[in-house]
Amino acid sequence: MKVYPYRRLTGNVSWRVESAQLKVEGEPWEDVETKYVSTVERVVALGPDEDRPDWNQARLRLSAGLPAKAVDAAGPWQDVKVIAVLTERATNSRTAVELSPVSDDGRERTGELYIHRCDLLDRASLAVHVVATVDHVPGRVIATSDVEWFVDVIEAAPSLARELDVKLIGFASGASRLQRFKDSPWLVDTTGRIPAVRVNTDFDGLGDLVGADGGNGAEKTVRELLLAQMCSEVWTAVFHSAVGDLEIEEDGTPLFPHGWQGEVLREMLPDIYPDREPEGALREVHAARTGASATGWGELQPRIHFAASRRAGVPRTLSTTIRDLERLTQGNDA
Amino acid sequence: MEAAEDFGPWLARQLRNAGKTQTDLAEELGMTRAAVSAWIVGRSVPRDETIRRIAEVLKTDLETIHTRSVDAQAGLPVSWYHRPAHADGGREYGNAAAFAFEADVSVLAREATQNSLDARLDRTKAVRVRYTLHELTGEALARFREAVDWEQLLPHYQALTSDHGKQGKVSRTIAAGLRDMYQRDRLVLLRVDDYNATGLTGGDYDDGLFAAVVRRQLDSHKTDAGAGGSYGLGKATLWATSRLGLVLINSTLSEPHEGRTERRLIGRLDLPWHEVDGRRFAGPAWFGRPDPDAASTDVARSWWADEATVEKLYLTRESAAPGTSFLIVGAHDVASLAPVTGSVDEGEGAEDDDSVHRMHARLVDALGRNFWAAMTSGGDHEPHLKASVCTYRNGEVLIAEERVDPAVTQPSRTRALRAFLEGDTVDRLTTPGQVARATVRLNVPLHGGQVRGGVPHEAVLLVTHAEDADGPPNRLVSMRGNRMTVKDSAVTNVPIGTNPFQAVLLAGRAAGRDAPGAEAAEEFLRASEPPEHNKWGRTEELRLTYSPSAYRRIAALTTAANNSVRDLVAVPRAKRRSGGEARIAGRLKVGGSTKKARPTRAAALPELDNVDALIDTSGAWSVTVDLRVSAGVDTDRPVTPVAKFDVRSGPRPAAFWKELVAVSGCEVVDGALHLTPGSRKAVFRGVTDVSRHPVRAQLSGLVVELRIGKGEQA
Repeated sequence: MKVYPYRRLTGNVSWRVESAQLKVEGEPWEDVETKYVSTVERVVALGPDEDRPDWNQARLRLSAGLPAKAVDAAGPWQDVKVIAVLTERATNSRTAVELSPVSDDGRERTGELYIHRCDLLDRASLAVHVVATVDHVPGRVIATSDVEWFVDVIEAAPSLARELDVKLIGFASGASRLQRFKDSPWLVDTTGRIPAVRVNTDFDGLGDLVGADGGNGAEKTVRELLLAQMCSEVWTAVFHSAVGDLEIEEDGTPLFPHGWQGEVLREMLPDIYPDREPEGALREVHAARTGASATGWGELQPRIHFAASRRAGVPRTLSTTIRDLERLTQGNDA
Repeated sequence: MEAAEDFGPWLARQLRNAGKTQTDLAEELGMTRAAVSAWIVGRSVPRDETIRRIAEVLKTDLETIHTRSVDAQAGLPVSWYHRPAHADGGREYGNAAAFAFEADVSVLAREATQNSLDARLDRTKAVRVRYTLHELTGEALARFREAVDWEQLLPHYQALTSDHGKQGKVSRTIAAGLRDMYQRDRLVLLRVDDYNATGLTGGDYDDGLFAAVVRRQLDSHKTDAGAGGSYGLGKATLWATSRLGLVLINSTLSEPHEGRTERRLIGRLDLPWHEVDGRRFAGPAWFGRPDPDAASTDVARSWWADEATVEKLYLTRESAAPGTSFLIVGAHDVASLAPVTGSVDEGEGAEDDDSVHRMHARLVDALGRNFWAAMTSGGDHEPHLKASVCTYRNGEVLIAEERVDPAVTQPSRTRALRAFLEGDTVDRLTTPGQVARATVRLNVPLHGGQVRGGVPHEAVLLVTHAEDADGPPNRLVSMRGNRMTVKDSAVTNVPIGTNPFQAVLLAGRAAGRDAPGAEAAEEFLRASEPPEHNKWGRTEELRLTYSPSAYRRIAALTTAANNSVRDLVAVPRAKRRSGGEARIAGRLKVGGSTKKARPTRAAALPELDNVDALIDTSGAWSVTVDLRVSAGVDTDRPVTPVAKFDVRSGPRPAAFWKELVAVSGCEVVDGALHLTPGSRKAVFRGVTDVSRHPVRAQLSGLVVELRIGKGEQA
């Protein structure tokens, strides 16, 4: 529970991205269709798309509404400002813009946020803060909206969930770093912006098996099982990678990382420690990994394995496979 | 002064009404039969003195004879005529058409308003529809019963209900209606008025609107290809909505009949076959003036009523504008029975669900939902329809007249249509509040079973962002020239994350009269509507007029419309990846999962209930913390309170305790709290160590948390 040495604003600060425009150097601003600005997912997707120019500047039109008490002249807050802040951790960029009042009572605010394509790598988060002078101290944050938007410059479809980077390539003929794995059917690489999964098409028949649609009963059964197996391995790998590099506070409390690592941990920890809050579970996992607790790292492995295979749908796929197998063999007998 | 009608025909009718022959009149006047005959055929006109004596014979005044705008009231009194049973012994236990619909005021509103729209007189102006609910009790109810000659009807009702409704569904409904009226001394009248409509024109028995509505079944008498109705079934909802099967009608005609236009009255009762005093009746009955010209003298025909009668029957129209008023006696609402909220203990007779408040609300809702498009205006387009609902109890206003405003009930769809009418649409949506317009092609098949070829039609598709009031989002509403919602379907395969939208498809004449193939499409789509007018699909008419496969053209239209909507609102799934990559990536997603808040089995830690904090004079944080200890908490394990300075990102610096004091429900041992077993609350106080603050307390927020076990902090 947080406490502050000054009066904070309670109540909701609502805001949204109204529209977006893109600009190519030397050309006029071009409207972005609202289908790329999802109010449901709260994502603005500005990634390359078929008929989208290779833009270098974007501007977002933002609007916000304040609770009435925020602008009450007799209230504890003077000089109330609404600030939108776009941050991206990967590039450590931070862009802020003030939204100016458009209604007479000063509750409705709008503003335009300019974004340079070269400032962003991947996905930046956009938040809105209310700043005011409190007890003669200027610039205090009196409220932060609990709604957060994302500006994605990689994806063309506005979606909060992100798919891992999956590619079917031949390892033997591919990049040299892949050649030493040429006997492996697939590979997970967690060093990039987002985990990458490479499936080896040089592995005999693998590309055809996972790439085919339909196929006969046996083929389909094997493919499903194979995919479940692959996903289970991927989740194990990304979990280890996410938990391996945590920021630690002075008192030893591990912090949830940002980006995909944090999402993976939040999604998998409830399966690893079902009776803990995510923060407690993370602390437990961290303690096991660093040897600070009685639970050793080895004892944690079955839990990770369980969470990964559950997330990949292994138990479900396996029981379907076994049923199908029985049916297939019966068909042979008949 | 101009007379409403020529003297001859008027006099002839008065004689028939009075049951007198020309000879009778001649004798009473002391004149020859030839003289009377000459007046009637219009060869001569009686002298003033003679007219005075005619007035005496007909028991009327001179004014009536001169204006001839009403009948002399000397004729046979208005009464009920029951159709005798068929000579072949056949019996009808009700009107099958009434079962084509639910007895539901929203269905009634839909069907009756559609009929009013189709009967619109001046096509440049709106037809005005007004629904009025009257709840009658006590004295008012008694007076109304007298006005409809209830005593004369009662034996027929009793014949039907004497065996407790064993005769069938209709009898049971009637029995329930009678019970409700007598036990609760309450009757609900629902009046449906339209103005700027044609009114019930034509003779009592000839082809015409009057006969189509009052005397015939399955006669729609609608010739216009753009009409909404086509089966002649909708009028049955009027009778179906009445529990007593009774509807009274007052019509102001747009074309004079018998030289009159105002206050043409008739009542019609729809009963099943029944027997009274040994006489068998087919069921239907009419309330009117016995027609001396009819084959059987007691056949009732419409009559021209005076204002007092109209008033007593709750049929007074508010102006002389042409149109019709239907008064549904004993209106009830089956669909609103479903969400029962009232008390159940009153027994089976307790039908508070027929409350006029609820019916009022449902009428407003149904009108808004079905006719928002007809009520929308834009640019130089007048709305087709204006509708309102009001409710009275014993003549006193209970709910004031409420105009149905499409912009309130269907804001985004209305916005879409208005933008189309005003020519204010865009090609692609770029800001909220815009309306995108696209063209969807329909290949209208040719008549006569030809499978190939057709007339190309360009339907108009409108898409805009959904508002909450429209109801469920992501739907496509389709309509044709009468601008009534025909189809309301979900747009399929809309990706997750798509902004909520509403789409409207305007086909046929709705796409604009000059849209290519509008007339052909209008006719084709009308033929594809079932009696409920709630979809476009396979109908017998479609098969006969066009070809057995004609309905496929509609399926193609639907698919094309859905594709156009998706193109406007959604980003297509990337096609650049191969099937295999997409399949694997689809399973490997991070983030965005609907956060299933997994309830922790039992709170292992006490929860922070409240933190009171202030900065003391030394600059240290002084906090008082209330803990809530749930039953599952293990009180043997100590917990450690931790305070940290709130920073924007990264590790938060700790604020170390200088002092930690238990207030209640716990003890402090070595910087950890030991909870008192069995206590559900605990309070402690802490003061931070100013000398170890990394920042001044004034400049940062403080986070207070609890940890299991003895703290690692010093």
